[in-house]
Amino acid sequence: MTTNPALVDSPTVELDDASKWFGQKVAVSNVTCSFGPGVTGLLGPNGAGKTTMLRMLTGLIRPSKGEVRVLGVWPRTRPSVYADVGLVPEEAAVYPSLTAREYVRYAATLAGVSNVGEATERAIETVALGPPADRKLAGYSKGMRQRAKVAAALVSDPQILLLDEPLNGTDPVQRLHLINLFQRLGGEGRTVIVSSHILGEVDRMSDRVIAIVDGRLAAAGDVAAIRSAMTDIPYRVRIESDSARVLAARLVEEALVHGVSVDDGTLRVETGDLAALGLRVPQVAQEVDARITAFQPEDASLESVFRYLVKR
Amino acid sequence: MRAFAAITSMSIKLLLGLRRLIIFGIAALAPAAVFLLLSQTLASEAALNRLLAMVGALYFPLLVPIVTLIIASSALGDERRDATLSFLVLRPIPRSVIASSKFLGAIVVAGGLNALGAVALTVVYGIETGSWSLVVPLLVGGIAASVVYASLFIPLGFFTDRAVLIGLAFVFIFENAVVSALSGLSTLSPWRIGWSAFAGLVPADVEAEIADIGTANLSSLGAALLSTVFIAAVSIAATTLVLRRRDLT
Repeated sequence: MTTNPALVDSPTVELDDASKWFGQKVAVSNVTCSFGPGVTGLLGPNGAGKTTMLRMLTGLIRPSKGEVRVLGVWPRTRPSVYADVGLVPEEAAVYPSLTAREYVRYAATLAGVSNVGEATERAIETVALGPPADRKLAGYSKGMRQRAKVAAALVSDPQILLLDEPLNGTDPVQRLHLINLFQRLGGEGRTVIVSSHILGEVDRMSDRVIAIVDGRLAAAGDVAAIRSAMTDIPYRVRIESDSARVLAARLVEEALVHGVSVDDGTLRVETGDLAALGLRVPQVAQEVDARITAFQPEDASLESVFRYLVKR
Repeated sequence: MRAFAAITSMSIKLLLGLRRLIIFGIAALAPAAVFLLLSQTLASEAALNRLLAMVGALYFPLLVPIVTLIIASSALGDERRDATLSFLVLRPIPRSVIASSKFLGAIVVAGGLNALGAVALTVVYGIETGSWSLVVPLLVGGIAASVVYASLFIPLGFFTDRAVLIGLAFVFIFENAVVSALSGLSTLSPWRIGWSAFAGLVPADVEAEIADIGTANLSSLGAALLSTVFIAAVSIAATTLVLRRRDLT
């Protein structure tokens, strides 16, 4: 049994010291990790290398160094592996002149599915595309296209599903439906790899997270472990008050406050415990007779969080 | 086989949009229209044959390459630009099936449009002269030239977004200027391969009229067809190899 959180015991998809560079730009750098049954979130800010990693995993691009294996083989040398792999790319990748039903049917035919009609209907039903399935993809919203692409990926009933930012452009109802779908597919024992730059999304759908920043593996493990690793990151909070300087002078004495600054009447406070600060600030404001009009955590972007993880 | 048929029919559908059909359909009929207009002033069959040779010189070096260039360079080029090529290559089908089915799809569309032009021209010629002996030669020659052009332009479309520009430079600068000046290079000219097939099939009286067009033809119909098949096979093999080796970024 492996103790490395980046590795799983029964991998279906593996990267072994894999790197990819395009000219001078390094997109993925020496990543070793593996994926197995269940939902794994591939998390990282935009430009972190998630898409490059997914494209390497599918064999669309060859690693400059290291190895990639899907079901034990480099997929490009054995296309039959693709019968067990479904990819939902981030970019359009649909034929605008086709209806969603034709698109999914085409995917089923190319995948060699035995009962194309039945598989098509099942996939369309799975993503709840409904009657719009007979409309041309050119007229689809981004969220609807995402669902059509998910249906095309699922039509061959693959064991491995790779999804590149699949929730982009989806509305809250579609998002909830897709998250539930991915969780169900992971629960059925499929390897589901979902990339996202939104921590909340990954948190909701993944059992395990692989965090990528600047092409490097920044963190790996279950969501709770990643979250606990983030507790050292100071939060920045913006506070609007009619007595910002007075409040700042008083807050700087608080042990939970790491630093304060005042700029144009706006107070910014750094703390390691956001919840405690939220409770303490009103008390302090009352003590100094200050009125608070806004209390807004800021700079909690994923990018800053992951930059912190890389520096550790 | 099912995948081959599916990709071929999808390619035909994607390549043959309504706008393209109208534009290229009209273009394909242009040589026939020119022949019809100019033939009104001519009476003798010899004169009509000379006119046919001149119009043929419009059909082979102009219509066939341009139609085929635009269709064939789109076959893989559009899929690469629209990112749908990843949709194809991530299916459990050999790359050779993708390459050959895309090739066939492009040939059906470009060859079909060029065949329409050939049939229209021979129908007009047939009405004017009462001879239908040019139907097969022009069809065979037109389709052979379409196949050779497609063999060049399908991979070109995959490699670059400027395939049409490069293709036009090839047709107008290399083929119609350089090769015309240096007849030793004529075997490298696709339309001349088609012309050779055409010339190898036409009746003797027409052959005499077209002898000085398409200079330095291949030696025979057989050589022209063999070249066509060979170039097509090399193109499909090369496209297969490229699809296997080249990254899709």
